Formats: sequence, C-alpha cells, structure tokens
Amino acid sequence: MVGKAEPVNGSVKSGSNQSIPATMQSPLKKSDLIPNLSLKTLKLKTKQQELLIRVSILCLVYVLAFITRLFSVLRYESMIHEFDPYFNYRTTLFLTEKGFYEFWNWFDSESWYPLGRIIGGTLYPGLMVTAAIIYWLLRFLRFAIHIREVCVLTAPFFASNTTLVAYFFGKEVWDSGAGLVAAALIAICPGYISRSVAGSYDNEGVAIFALLLTFYLFVKAVNTGSLAWALASAFAYFYMVSAWGGYVFIINLIPLYVLVLLITGRYSMRLYVAYNSMYVLGMLLAMQIRFVGFQHVQSGEHMAAMGVFFLLQVFFFLDWVKHLLSDTKLFQAFLRITVTTAIGVGAIALGVGMASGYISPWTGRFYSLLDPTYAKDHIPIIASVSEHQPTAWSSFMFDFHILLFLFPAGLYFCFKRLSDATIFIVMYGLTSMYFAGVMVRLILVATPAVCLISAIAVSATIKNLTLVARAKSKVTQTGSVRGSSSSKGSSKPFQRNGAIALLLGAFYLLSKYATHCTWVTSEAYSSPSIVLAARGAHGNRVIFDDYREAYFWLRKNTPPDAKVMSWWDYGYQITAMGNRTVIVDNNTWNNTHIATVGRAMSSYEDEAYEIMRSLDVDYVLVVFGGVTGYSSDDINKFLWMVRIGGGVFPVIKEPDYLVNGEYRVDKGAAPKMLNCLMYKLSYYRFGELTTEYGKPPGYDRARGVEIGNKDIKLEYLEEAFTTSNWIVRIYKVKPPNNRW
Amino acid sequence: MRSKPESQTFTASMEPLSSGSVDPIFHLLRIVPFSFLRPPKLRLKLPTLTLPSPMTVYALVLLTYFMVVSGIVYDVIVEPPGIGSTQDRATGSVRPVVFLPGRVNGQYIVEGLSSGFMFVLGGVGIILMDLALDRNRARSVKVSYATAGISFVVIAYVMSMLFIRIKIPAYLS
Repeated sequence: MVGKAEPVNGSVKSGSNQSIPATMQSPLKKSDLIPNLSLKTLKLKTKQQELLIRVSILCLVYVLAFITRLFSVLRYESMIHEFDPYFNYRTTLFLTEKGFYEFWNWFDSESWYPLGRIIGGTLYPGLMVTAAIIYWLLRFLRFAIHIREVCVLTAPFFASNTTLVAYFFGKEVWDSGAGLVAAALIAICPGYISRSVAGSYDNEGVAIFALLLTFYLFVKAVNTGSLAWALASAFAYFYMVSAWGGYVFIINLIPLYVLVLLITGRYSMRLYVAYNSMYVLGMLLAMQIRFVGFQHVQSGEHMAAMGVFFLLQVFFFLDWVKHLLSDTKLFQAFLRITVTTAIGVGAIALGVGMASGYISPWTGRFYSLLDPTYAKDHIPIIASVSEHQPTAWSSFMFDFHILLFLFPAGLYFCFKRLSDATIFIVMYGLTSMYFAGVMVRLILVATPAVCLISAIAVSATIKNLTLVARAKSKVTQTGSVRGSSSSKGSSKPFQRNGAIALLLGAFYLLSKYATHCTWVTSEAYSSPSIVLAARGAHGNRVIFDDYREAYFWLRKNTPPDAKVMSWWDYGYQITAMGNRTVIVDNNTWNNTHIATVGRAMSSYEDEAYEIMRSLDVDYVLVVFGGVTGYSSDDINKFLWMVRIGGGVFPVIKEPDYLVNGEYRVDKGAAPKMLNCLMYKLSYYRFGELTTEYGKPPGYDRARGVEIGNKDIKLEYLEEAFTTSNWIVRIYKVKPPNNRW
Repeated sequence: MRSKPESQTFTASMEPLSSGSVDPIFHLLRIVPFSFLRPPKLRLKLPTLTLPSPMTVYALVLLTYFMVVSGIVYDVIVEPPGIGSTQDRATGSVRPVVFLPGRVNGQYIVEGLSSGFMFVLGGVGIILMDLALDRNRARSVKVSYATAGISFVVIAYVMSMLFIRIKIPAYLS
C-alpha cells in the first residue's frame, strides 16, 4: 500500500494520497516500511473511527452490566436468593433431568398437600426453558457446569443483552448517541439491578429483556412498515408471554399506543401492517402457553387489544371507501353511519360477552393497579406482600437518582420532536411511571422507559453544549464580518467556556449517578435473603446461615414422606432444599388453604392440633428473630396470618390479638395472643435465654420488649430442632395418645 | 311543467344527494315529527374538538409526573400524617419530624411533595437550558433562561442529595 505508488489512477481524491507515497518512495528502505505501515494502516476514516468507538463502548457496557451484578456471588457464594427463585430452580432441575414432556405434564404432589399442584399448567416456562437451553448448549460444547451456576448467572447475562436492545431502541427512537447513553444508563440502573442480580433466578430477569425486545421490534415495524419486523415482534411477544405474567402490560400498552396514533391522525399503512400481524400471530402463539390458555379472547384484560384490532379494520375500510368514492359529501355521510354502527356493534358485543360471563372481568391483581385501594379492602394476600406497597419518593430516588431530573427533560425533547417512535416511548414512560407509583415492584417495568427518555435528554443536551463549545472554529473561518451579525458575536469565548463548564457539570452528574448505582447495588440489592449478615461488636461480619441449616436438617432427619406446615413464605425453599412436602407455598393459589394454616397458627394449641391432624402435618416450622433482632420473622407477619385466616374463618377476629389497637407481645398483650400457637412455638424456652447484656431473660430483640408469657408448655408438639441462632425452629407434631 | 321535472331529473342526475338524503334516519325524521313540527332557527354549532397542542399536553404530563413522583398513591392508601412528630425526652415538648426515619419505602405527605418539587425543578432547569439555545430570542432573555436553568439544576441536585442524606443516614458510606 505504501511501497507501491500507482501514480496513474485518475481521480483527484487519490491524487493527494498518491503524492505522499510518491515523495517518500525514493528514500524507502525495508526498515522504514514497518513503522510507516503501522501509522498509515491505523489511520481510519471518520466513519470507521465512529464505528470503533461505538462498538467498544457497547462491549464495555455489556461487560459492565454483567459484572456489576456479581456482588453477592463474590461476597457469599454462588447460590439462589430469596423465595421464588427456589421454585424456578427446582423446576429447571426437573426439566434438565426428565426432559421437556415430563416437565410440561408435571403434577407435583409435594406441595399444597393434599391438593397438589399442576405445575405444567400453572407456570410460565420461558425462564426454565431458557436456562435449560443454555445449560444444554454449554454441555454440548463440553463445559461440564452444574445447572445451579447457569441459573445463578442467567439474569446478569440477560441484563447484558438488554443493554444491547436498549442501544438499538435508542437508535430507533432518537439517534445512535442516545442509544449508547441508554445502554450505559440501563446497565447500572438500580431499578433493574434489584431484580436481576446474580442469584435472583426469577422471571423478571428474562422478562425485561423480552419486553424491551418486543417494544423495539414493534416500533421498528411501525417505522418501516415491514412484515418481517412485525412478525419478529410477534415472536418476541410470544417469548414475553412465556416468561412473565406482566405481558398484560404489553397487550394493553400497544393497543393504547395505536389508539393514540389514530386520534392524532397518524394512521398509515405501516401501522396497519405492524399491528395486525403482531396481534394475530402474537395471540395465536400466546395460546400455546397452557397457563395463558384462551385468555386472549376470554379475559377482560385483553379486550382492549381486540377492540383496537377491529377499530383498525374499520379505519382501513373507511380509507378504502374514501379512495373509491370521489365525492366528499357522500363519504361524510357514509363515515358517520359506519362509525356509529361500528361503535354500537362493538359495545353490544362487549356487553353481551361480559353479561354472559364469557369475558371474565379484570382479575384482582391487575384491577388493584387501576384502583389501588381495592386490594387493601378486599384481598389481604395481595396487600400483605411488601413489594406490592405503593411507592414513596425515596424508593424512586433510590432506584433512579438523577434519572428523575432527566425524565421530564427527555419528555420535553420528545414532545418537541413528535414522531411515531417518540409517541411510543412517551406513552411507555408515562404509563409505566404511573404503575411504578402504585406498586414498588413495578419500578422494574418503568426502568427501561426512564433510561431511554433520560438518554434522549442527555444526548440532546450534550449535543447542544458541544455545538456551542465547537462553534468558535466554524465562525472564525467564515470571517469576522459575520461575527457581528450573529447574536453571540461579542462574547464567544465566554459562551464557549460556559459550554465547556456545563459539559463538565453534566459529566460530574453522570459520574455521581454511577457512584450511587454501585453503592446501592452493593449495599441494598446484593443480599441473598437466605443468608443474613450483620456487623459484630468489633466491626467484623457475622453470617447467619440458619435457613439452610434448618432445611438441611429437615432433609436428613425426617422421614421422606413427612409433611411440613409453615407460613407460605417458606414453602418453595422447603420443597427445593428440604425436599419435603409442604402444606402451602408461595404460589398462593388457594386462599382457603392458606387461611386454614393461618387459622391453625392463630388458634390455641388444642384447636390447632385438630387442624394439623386433619392436614396430616408432621412438622411445623416457624421463623423467629428475637435472638438476632431479625425483623422479618413470623411474629411480625402474624397479623397477616390473622387477617387472612379471619377472612375465611370468621371465628378468628383481629381485635382479639390487639390491645387498644396496638400489637404487643409483652406483659400487656392480649391473652389470646399470649396463648396462640405461633406465640408458643416462637417463644418456647425463650424465657430462659439472656439475649442482650443488661436486659432480663426473655428480651425479644426484634420487638424490643420483654415477652409476657415465659413459662410455655407444649402439649401436642415437641421441639425437634432449633438452629444455632434460633432463627428457624422446627417442632414435631405428636401422634394422638393411645386410647388406654 | 315539463321543463321542471326535466330540470329536476337533470339536477337529480348531476347531484344525487340533495342535503344528505342518503341517510335513512334523516328521511325518517323528516317524515315523522318534522312534517308537522317546525324546528326553530338556532345558531348553535357543534363544538369542534381540536387536539391540544403538544406543549399543553406536556404541561399536563409534567403535573401528573409531579404528583406520581411525590408518592401521591402512597399518601392515598397508607394515609400517613402530613408531618410526623416526636416528643422531646427532656422537655416533653412535641417536635415536628419532616422525614420518616428508618424505612426507604415510607414517607410523610409534605416530604413527598417537597422532593417531588425538587425533581420537577431539575427537569425544568434542563428545559430552560435548552430554551436558552434557541436562536429566535432576544439575547437578554436567553441569558436569563440560561442562568435560571443552571441554578435550578444545581439547587435541585443539591437539595435532593440533602434530602436523601437526611432520610437515609447511612447513604454513601
């Protein structure tokens, strides 16, 4: 390239390039060739430089998204966190061992004794199938790793993939600069990290990737009008339906978006092709998941999509008729008739469907999103989950930091430059922010929208600032005559310095965002929940591994067909790690069964014994935090047991357990509280234990009081096992006495 | 008489719809009540619905954002007091507590509203900075927009950091 100078090439452009090697040709020796080669070949054109920068940024962001989620793996070990992931892990294990057909038709008799659970028909298989495919792929490549490692690292892997999708989405909505910023923001945003750390093997880890992919492909389809992109978005929607119950958000947001486009007069053939293909194929594919079944045509939550589908057909029909008729007056009359008829027929069909019961009304879970006060009054199980509480400002700040400032600014930029794609992202952002305000858990769904819109704000602002910062060199070339006419003529250096200062300020804010995100990830969202850590007296870290100790004891020291009764929080963990049958678990599909357990826990010991005999219970497991000060124990959850039990069995009344509306466990507590089964099981032999220096024996560190009833005698149960820090306590139910 | 039907048919063939005669309900109404009732001459017009401008919609959106981010749903459901109070141990007087301590997901009403206001202020600051770069304004207006924008962003960021430090004492440590 350097040595051979081809002077005869003709074009003027290459002339300047050719002249340089021509002059250097003469003193050329072999030793000169190599440094000249490296300099010349490394000199890329601007487009290639830009591509290199973009690709390297995306690679760095990909790696960053993965490694920032690894805190708990490095601090503790590679294990599954929390409660729900244990069920997912158990089902994935079953899938890899027995194969897909056994998994799809699995009836599990080890949970919800004696009812059992049809697992194949009541779960979302996307996550398990994804992990199993990755596992089989790695095994095919002869990497012999355990399925648990694959399960632990699935969520960070998909988080990295989400950053790539966010880049393409940002490029589609605004430009590639916004895409890069969106990828970087979403890689470390705590709102997303909270549900996708390594070890959090839950549906959301995969579902957010599927959600963003569906939205990206649909917006691409609307922008291009291509059938291929629309069908691709239908397949992405199928993946989302298989992964998470939150797909209802997609099937309601996209019709709402189409409706807004129709209202703002942006109907076009592209929209028609995109929505129709996506809806029809997506609906058909979604019906393949047994848990979803025919809900797309039968459930009230999916009716909006169908209504918009028919409305689009009406629009297309009207457009066609308008094209055929040359007469506007005739067309106006026709328009009025058609629209009235269509709306009338639609309303009648909807009315008939709902009245006959074919179209079921909105389920409580989703209805409580529209009317947040509904769950508090009617469905205590939904209201009791801490993740379902409404959001306070500090949760927003914790999960979003400066994105909360950039979000309204980004909305402003979107409103300034309205297009089909920006209307979509605005709607996604607004609806998801409202839902995030209703339920803390849904901050996760809002995170991609907030990151994208904030990226638009960042990108647009930085572009403006760099334009101002670079304006000087352009103006001086055109001459100083122009300078006086432009309004920034006289104070150009000030403006340029101001812009540079503002750029530095923007980078400072973004670096504070990165610091905040890393701190939040490390302190708040990387705890496995099954292993507790605390600071000892000398600042050293103390680890409480009581849960796993108890489950291992259950696994090794109880008969294989033993049935364990506990509150539903621990059901999944007991079946997965203890390998024993449970009465109720986290699926909470049968409220009456849970209420039976709640009633047993809140009754006196003899009544509870009757209930336990009827359920064939062999062991009872309670969680107690009085010795360690652990605040998420069963005594703190007890009132929910009373409420849920009292919701089905009116013999359990909440005021019986309260004193003047206050919940107490000390001497002034209600007598029913001091003698119920939960109290006895939690505080058995606790009255002899001194927990803290200077406090009397029987001082409960989680409630901060000395317990009221220290002399507890158990008649029908006996203590089987208490873990080393008294966190988990297991009792054996004694068989009935011989008659004589 | 002959020319009239001709002209009528002639006009009829030229313009088959005379005042919307395709509509069957119109014809029905023409016969049943309005052959003997005479409608009065009114000067009413159907209100034409025009879509609001993007910036009007944006103003509404900003207001909704302020309410959501201040935790209004939390306020409606959990019904916390407007401002908390604690009793001073030594003197026994009741002192107000602005920030609910101890939990990340809990607030009093006033603290939610003030934090929401700070967030919106930051957003408005960035918008003002963008408006300052608009070419079609007087220079003094641009300068005032720019200073206002920068000061809003700085104030909003500093106050938000202060609020979160008060609320969560262990923040960034």
